[in-house]
Amino acid sequence: MTSPTGQRGRHEETVPLRVPENFARHEDTMALRIPAQWRRDHDTDPAPGPETQQEEQRAPAPPRGGRDRYLDLLRALALVRVVLYHNFGWFWLPLLFPSMGVMFALAGSLMARSLSRPALGVVRGRMRRLLPPMWLFGGIVITLQVLDGGGPDADGHPTWWWAKLAFWLLPLSTPPYAEDGLHGLHLHLESGWATQLVVPLWYLRAYLWYVLLSPLMLRALRRFPVVTLLAPLALVIAMNGFFVEHDFVYQRVWETVNDFATFGSCWILGMAHQEGMLRRLPQYVLPSLAPLVMVAGFWYLQSRPVDPTQPTDIEAWPIAQAVWSFGFVALLLHLSPSWERWPAPLERWNGLVSLLNSRAVSVYLWHVTALVAAVPLIDHLWDVDFFYEHLKWLLTSQWFTLVVGVPLLALLVLAFGWVEDVAAKRSPRLFPYPRRKRGKRRVAV
Amino acid sequence: MSRHQRRRQSLLRPRRLAAPPLRFFMPLSLLACLLALLVLRGLATNEVFHDTRIAQSVDKTTVPESLLKGGPVIDARGDKKANPVSYRIPDKTVVLSFDDGPSPEWTPKVLKVLAAHGIRADFFVTGSMTTRNPELIRQIVAGGHEIGLHTFTHPDLVYQSHTRISWELAQTQLALAGVAGVHSSLFRPPYSSDASAMDDWNYPVIKYVGAHGYLTAFIDRDTDDWKRPGVAEIVKAAMPTTPGAGELILLHDAGGDRSETVEALEQIIVKLQGEGYRFTTISDALGASSAMVPVHGFQLWAGKGFIWATHVSVVTLPLLVGLLALVGFLNFGRFALMIVLAPVHARRSKRQGAWGPPVTEPVTVLVPAYNERECIANTLNSLAASDYPIEVIVIDDGSTDGTADIVEEMDLPFVRLIRKVNGGKPSALNAGVAAASYDIVVMMDGDTVFEPSTVRELVQPFGDPGIGAVAGNAKVGNRDSLIGAWQHIEYVLGHNLDRRMYDVLNVIPTIPGAVGAFRREALQAVGGMSDDTLAEDTDITMAVLCEGWRIVYAERARAWTEAPASLQQLWSQRYRWSYGSMQAMWKHRRAVVSRGPAGRFGRIGLPLVVLFGVVAPLLAPLVDLFLLYGVLFADTPITLASWGGFILLQSVLSWYAFRLDREKPWHLISLPLQQVVYRQLMYIVLLQSTITAFTGGRLRWQKLRRTGEVSAAPVEV
Repeated sequence: MTSPTGQRGRHEETVPLRVPENFARHEDTMALRIPAQWRRDHDTDPAPGPETQQEEQRAPAPPRGGRDRYLDLLRALALVRVVLYHNFGWFWLPLLFPSMGVMFALAGSLMARSLSRPALGVVRGRMRRLLPPMWLFGGIVITLQVLDGGGPDADGHPTWWWAKLAFWLLPLSTPPYAEDGLHGLHLHLESGWATQLVVPLWYLRAYLWYVLLSPLMLRALRRFPVVTLLAPLALVIAMNGFFVEHDFVYQRVWETVNDFATFGSCWILGMAHQEGMLRRLPQYVLPSLAPLVMVAGFWYLQSRPVDPTQPTDIEAWPIAQAVWSFGFVALLLHLSPSWERWPAPLERWNGLVSLLNSRAVSVYLWHVTALVAAVPLIDHLWDVDFFYEHLKWLLTSQWFTLVVGVPLLALLVLAFGWVEDVAAKRSPRLFPYPRRKRGKRRVAV
Repeated sequence: MSRHQRRRQSLLRPRRLAAPPLRFFMPLSLLACLLALLVLRGLATNEVFHDTRIAQSVDKTTVPESLLKGGPVIDARGDKKANPVSYRIPDKTVVLSFDDGPSPEWTPKVLKVLAAHGIRADFFVTGSMTTRNPELIRQIVAGGHEIGLHTFTHPDLVYQSHTRISWELAQTQLALAGVAGVHSSLFRPPYSSDASAMDDWNYPVIKYVGAHGYLTAFIDRDTDDWKRPGVAEIVKAAMPTTPGAGELILLHDAGGDRSETVEALEQIIVKLQGEGYRFTTISDALGASSAMVPVHGFQLWAGKGFIWATHVSVVTLPLLVGLLALVGFLNFGRFALMIVLAPVHARRSKRQGAWGPPVTEPVTVLVPAYNERECIANTLNSLAASDYPIEVIVIDDGSTDGTADIVEEMDLPFVRLIRKVNGGKPSALNAGVAAASYDIVVMMDGDTVFEPSTVRELVQPFGDPGIGAVAGNAKVGNRDSLIGAWQHIEYVLGHNLDRRMYDVLNVIPTIPGAVGAFRREALQAVGGMSDDTLAEDTDITMAVLCEGWRIVYAERARAWTEAPASLQQLWSQRYRWSYGSMQAMWKHRRAVVSRGPAGRFGRIGLPLVVLFGVVAPLLAPLVDLFLLYGVLFADTPITLASWGGFILLQSVLSWYAFRLDREKPWHLISLPLQQVVYRQLMYIVLLQSTITAFTGGRLRWQKLRRTGEVSAAPVEV
């Protein structure tokens, strides 16, 4: 076709031209010959195009006090996705947005930022903020469980029962719960309701391990970036690809290591992002490779043996989960536009996003409880004749569970969310919805 | 080309630029239509959604005992939804049922046998066979036989979702309405046998189908005729276990050689009639009204529309496949040409002194500049470092951002500045050529950076007096971004490898505006640059070729240019290129019938450029179309594997091109993504410019011409 010259119209979106290496020695000459006034002009008059803006962000970000709204948005999306998934169980939701990988990447990024301070203090601070909400949750769950017939004598090993309670204090392994044999709290709950309630706990266990090992991982990342980044992926592939039968390892150890390895690469990717390592790569590298990685993960998922009546769920395949999340998170972090202010179309969500962010742990811990509690509540409506006659479709709908569960979740967060403030040494607030400033329609802080 | 035309264009076509999504509309809707045609045709040939998995039998805990031991017809409709019941065929009654048809080879024979005995039977037809053989369906209906649904694509419904099951049934009804104007309420699941074979997996399907108003008909006697066990075996299998008991017999009239079935059919009829059996249809045997109801109105016309569209698609497909083959031929042909010719060029360019005595005389470098404030200093400084004697003329084409002031301020001894009112790049270049002191003129852009050796390498070929122009090697400078990396790959593979090939054939169609050199004599002979087209560099190159000059490619004359950094800019750049080169090809169309060197270009170069530059990219969407069709509707693994093979081939070729150009191959990791994003963008641009060329091109051309005439005389400062 025609000439491959740079025939742009105007130069609003100029990117500095890269001079070839073997030509770079002439650069001093070039700089000298540009009149001083023009050089100054170039420096002080950056074109306002989006590319220039991007350039600024690509530059190592100075630590800012303000929140990065992009990260807040991701965290809120991840939470919403988790709630939806636990309600509907749609297999495509984790593909659409791999919440767990995103959450761990965000946490890893923040952890790396904090680790500029002495490691011991940072780890202690993280645990201080994580554990109290969990203790509260655990206290309530265990109490209910004991009341419902899941006390120390339920499984015949009272000593073990008491000993394992230590995992509720420090969740290095999954905290104990009554897997079965509960009476249902007179609410017609299933006998394994405790199993459902503690579904979110694995995240806290994994998080704890990541926090504990972060100082080590960060040092490794700085020394051997590529190896460190890929080590968890290699581990999860080795564990699930070559040791499908793993009876030789104690189950508690296996699940802890497996969860750690599944999302370890995401966590470290977040750290690398914070360290500015991703920005140092040529810009084409991540968006070129990440889709290939995701395709590999998707292909692995598709090639798994399927139950004909159900689509394969990525949550059940750690390798697929790890690889897909890794690629997805890499793309998200590559985009990373660092919003100090909301883009106009998203500003309206500021309140919800802020709320979700300041109550993230509570929402996460309690959402399954809310969804489980919604079921017996809805069951009562079957006794109402009108509902039974005309609204059966509503009562059997999954959406209705969500509609009932979300206000319940709000109540639970209202009741127990303050502990997050206490843990963070803030004054406890009931409902941290950002208040509008006087005279302003919306706050975009 | 470039800057000036862009502004003009935006004045001319403000609406199109204001509403970018519109430009995707026509190309994309065209592609969507073609995809729909492919899918329709795939439905008719049972290629789309084809699923050959057959479920293994499992427990029968959920199937009521009464159904397992009951008759072959299951009724789970309406008020029997909760407790389905089954019916038996009455004693001394037999129903013949034929599955999987109709087929053009065997169904007529079956119908003939049935007609000879005056017997009615049941045909469980698939939707895809129905759409392919509408005439047979009409014959079946006309013969008084009963038609039941056997799904559209014949999958094992156990594996399918409710949506899919509903679709299978509805689509088959649509086809039936279209060909015979009837719907049927009789259903038989594929891969089924007698009622005792119901299990926990397929029983829910029966209930689901029943809830939608279908009567499910299993069988009593499976003849296994599709295994071709021999006529005697089939006949034996069709005989009742208890003499006189009513039975529903399964036979097949499609899916392979059914000669045994036809032969056995005759004997079965004779034998059972001898035993006093009555032959009838299922509804009649059960004493119900016919399962077939005529349809009217919308349903009828929707069916007819579907059948008609399917026929169009079946007829169109060979054309599409032919075009796809052409694309494949062109692409592989281009690859082959490149692989053969590029090494020839590479070897030739390694030879020292290939062009005769070294060229040492000074040359003029023309730098047309329009609003190049950011780059012009870099450009001039790179020229200052040149290791070859040059005179630089900067032609400021009425810049409004102080470009000329920067040049003046720099005060370089070897630079002359010409200020003129805005008149377009061709007029700026013509002004520069008029002012040039030397016989060889190098042209570059105001945003391009030369290496110190670029000019020297570029002018060496002029040692050969037959060479009238030289093309340099334009490189993408900003290749670190994704879009830059894509263009980098495209430049190295598409432009530079192409150019080597064209060089060996002596038909280089374009000298890049960023780096090229001309003999002033050659330029003057063709009347200088013209603004007839949006691609004045292609235009002038073709003109010089037609004058009989040779044009060669100097790969070591590298110029670093700044490629568009946003999709928007890239779009408008490529729109101008493709539209401009179409204009240039059209302008030089008479070369095809000319004598001498022009004729040589017209008969070798022009067809190649049209084929590789226009036809192949224009048909390239077909590749994606078939890819999409294959992945979504047909055999996914094979489609993906062949596509992956194509990408691999392209990667190998690109790697070779990178090696020839002494580039590091890292950027090739962007190739897969480039193939699924960038390539599409490029052909949509080309499609758009083609549409423009065919619809409003002429008008615009005249307007452009008029605007070009308003150039004022250059004012030298």
